[in-house]
Amino acid sequence: MATEKTDVVIVGMGAVGGVMAAELGKAGLKVIGLERGPRLKTADFQLDELRYFQRKDLRPSPKTQPVTWRPNASAAAMPLPQMDYGNQAGGGTVHYGAVSWRLHEDDFHARTQTIERYGLSAIPQDSTLADWPLSYAELEPFYDKAEYDIGVAGKAGNLQGRKIAGGNPFEAPRQREYPLPPLTKDQPSILFEAGAQKLGFHPFSTPHAILSQPYKGRPACTYCTYCQAFGCYIGAKSSILVAKLPEADATGNVTIKTGAMCYRVNSSGKRVTGVSYYGPDGSDNTIEAEIVVLGTFIYDNTRLLLLSKTDAFPNGLANSSGQVGKHLMAHMMPTVFVGFEDRHVNTYMGPSAQKYTVDDFNADNFDHGSLRFIRGAQISVGTPNLEGGPISFSTTAPPPGTPRWGAAYRDYLAKYFTRFAVMVAQTENLPYGDQTIDLDPAVRDQWRLPAPRLTYDWRRPNETARVEYMVKKMEEIGHAMGGNTVWRGPLSPGLPGAHHEGGTRMGNDPNTSVVNKYGQSWDIHNLFIVGSSTFPSMSGFNPTLTIEALAYMSADAIANKYKKSPGALL
Amino acid sequence: MSEHDEGRRAFIVGAVGAGAAAGAVLVETAYAKTQKARAPSTKNPAAAEAPAADHAVETFDGHGVFFNDEHGETVAAFAERLMPGAPGKPGARDANVLNYIDLALAGAYADQQDFYRRGLAQLDVYCRKTYSQPFVKLSAAQQDEVIGALEQGKASEFEFPTAQAFFNTLRAHTMEGMFADPVYGGNKDFAGWKLVGFPGTQLYYTPADLASKEAFTRAPIVGLQARAKAGTKGA
Repeated sequence: MATEKTDVVIVGMGAVGGVMAAELGKAGLKVIGLERGPRLKTADFQLDELRYFQRKDLRPSPKTQPVTWRPNASAAAMPLPQMDYGNQAGGGTVHYGAVSWRLHEDDFHARTQTIERYGLSAIPQDSTLADWPLSYAELEPFYDKAEYDIGVAGKAGNLQGRKIAGGNPFEAPRQREYPLPPLTKDQPSILFEAGAQKLGFHPFSTPHAILSQPYKGRPACTYCTYCQAFGCYIGAKSSILVAKLPEADATGNVTIKTGAMCYRVNSSGKRVTGVSYYGPDGSDNTIEAEIVVLGTFIYDNTRLLLLSKTDAFPNGLANSSGQVGKHLMAHMMPTVFVGFEDRHVNTYMGPSAQKYTVDDFNADNFDHGSLRFIRGAQISVGTPNLEGGPISFSTTAPPPGTPRWGAAYRDYLAKYFTRFAVMVAQTENLPYGDQTIDLDPAVRDQWRLPAPRLTYDWRRPNETARVEYMVKKMEEIGHAMGGNTVWRGPLSPGLPGAHHEGGTRMGNDPNTSVVNKYGQSWDIHNLFIVGSSTFPSMSGFNPTLTIEALAYMSADAIANKYKKSPGALL
Repeated sequence: MSEHDEGRRAFIVGAVGAGAAAGAVLVETAYAKTQKARAPSTKNPAAAEAPAADHAVETFDGHGVFFNDEHGETVAAFAERLMPGAPGKPGARDANVLNYIDLALAGAYADQQDFYRRGLAQLDVYCRKTYSQPFVKLSAAQQDEVIGALEQGKASEFEFPTAQAFFNTLRAHTMEGMFADPVYGGNKDFAGWKLVGFPGTQLYYTPADLASKEAFTRAPIVGLQARAKAGTKGA
């Protein structure tokens, strides 16, 4: 059993931990980062669909690190069949599709926006939709820093209030262009753009943290297929592993411990004193620190607080509000497939996730007055399961009337693998108080810790109405693209979809939120909880760039405010 | 099956009952028959030459590390109905799907060995009860009926695994054997990739490739081991 001392200990070396370790190290703080998985190298990554897509090599194992799910509190929980977050240094950004959005201005105040435009009754009674405790303008400098630091390719649609053709006309105003031009258009993008324009929508190249040109010593993308689900074989994907951890190393102030599973945040009264963790050899170790940062995926941010309860915090550390584990959200990802008779589309080429997008039906960018739901979805074209190889294609549903096996199925695969594209609507599902994360009383993981248990069912009236609306929009686009066959993919039977968020909500009121906008615990001022676990609402956009921007903002607050006068930042 | 058994019998007879010279001939015969049974599409060089062959030529198109012969044949027949081969359209046997699943169950999927054993035993009970024959003896149309019943969850003999779980797993593993890199033991000669027109582990596509409405044919299909040996991947 080892005990070490440091200024800051950060749990999790993913999007949050990598950014904060590098930034706090640069500010002269001594940092220890704990990462339960390994630290891999670019040379480790193979172009292997079985290993990374099908067997999920870069994700936690459902067998040794189970997370359970039940649709409601009276149902039995069962282990989720697969995990969609990271399990190594760099976290989920190692395998992610690298879609990198700034949220819309109204995403930061969706509750107020809805009430002002449609009245309070438009919000479902049981939804806990809340405004963020910060505005887009406050976060903008940190979005800018994240985009330029890690390298994001895209086209501005709104430069300081001026609309720019070719970009997203609905985007919030940005101070300057993206650091890199958009990625090269592929056939699915070309077809989607033409179809969407025909319908009067506003398609544009999805911003990706993928290098369209060499940048900061890393090479440009080669459009090789092996993107989402994979580690990039040349480091052109701007993962935290290649974009921030080398910076953290260079400060000389950051030590990253791999194979280190944090199981408790230690505290004394209203102050945290450090963390305890199991080492790769099973050893039980302690780190004493002035500041503790929780930057794990949402399950563990909640689980660690619940596991670290004390007499002072009998319902979980930093949980005097009772909000820890509440308001779990997830994007549903309904799909529409488009098949072509007269041309090849070769969807497998290029970045595999959400290649080209229309933002016309996202956020409050369209009038919901006559609709039975609020908020929207990002609609993008790409690959099935965000991965373009043939194993991925074989897991998807063929058009109605085509069997899933046998000669007719074989002929379908042979014909359509190179002649289809698929759209996905990434829906902004609302938060609800009874969508929760807690500790499973029956299932334990490889460290004998109780598994995180999700209670969640997306099939609520507001959400199902939105899904149906978006599927119809995608069908319209599919026909406008010139598809000969347009068909729907199946919907999830209640399980949470992609990008799980919530559990340690941020807010302005200590009675209804866990942390303030800096991720600082209202209860414990030297405890910071950062990541999408703090999102009060989820938007229809992929969360990673916002997670990174919040991490930059928290690091800035710690280095420039908290370090000088430790205490409540607000 | 019968040729294989005959070969094995001949080997045993030769080894224990006859003199050295006769024994050697019997062993050779047995070896030749075994090879013929295992690799029916290739000529058998061992029979014509190589009286002193000291090792059998492995062709990696069957089973050998997990399945017994009966189970191996059942899985091969089942997979072939899921992805049947036809002229110009390689199927599960052409792609060595059985070899893929056999290797996977001895390795990465070792925790599913019991799932397969029980599933195959239940399949056998179901087929004998419904058709008075094991799965491999059924006609293709009957085999398709069986698979359809499993897919629909109509085969009530199945408890664990359920009929649908067994179907879904065999289907998923057959697709993996068709389309995973050949290094895993299936997708022989890129049979699966050729079937659908996937060019494999290409390192790059050009802007012209991305914009093309045609099938991609510029580069040869390449697998992981060839890529590693050539040293063409990596930073």
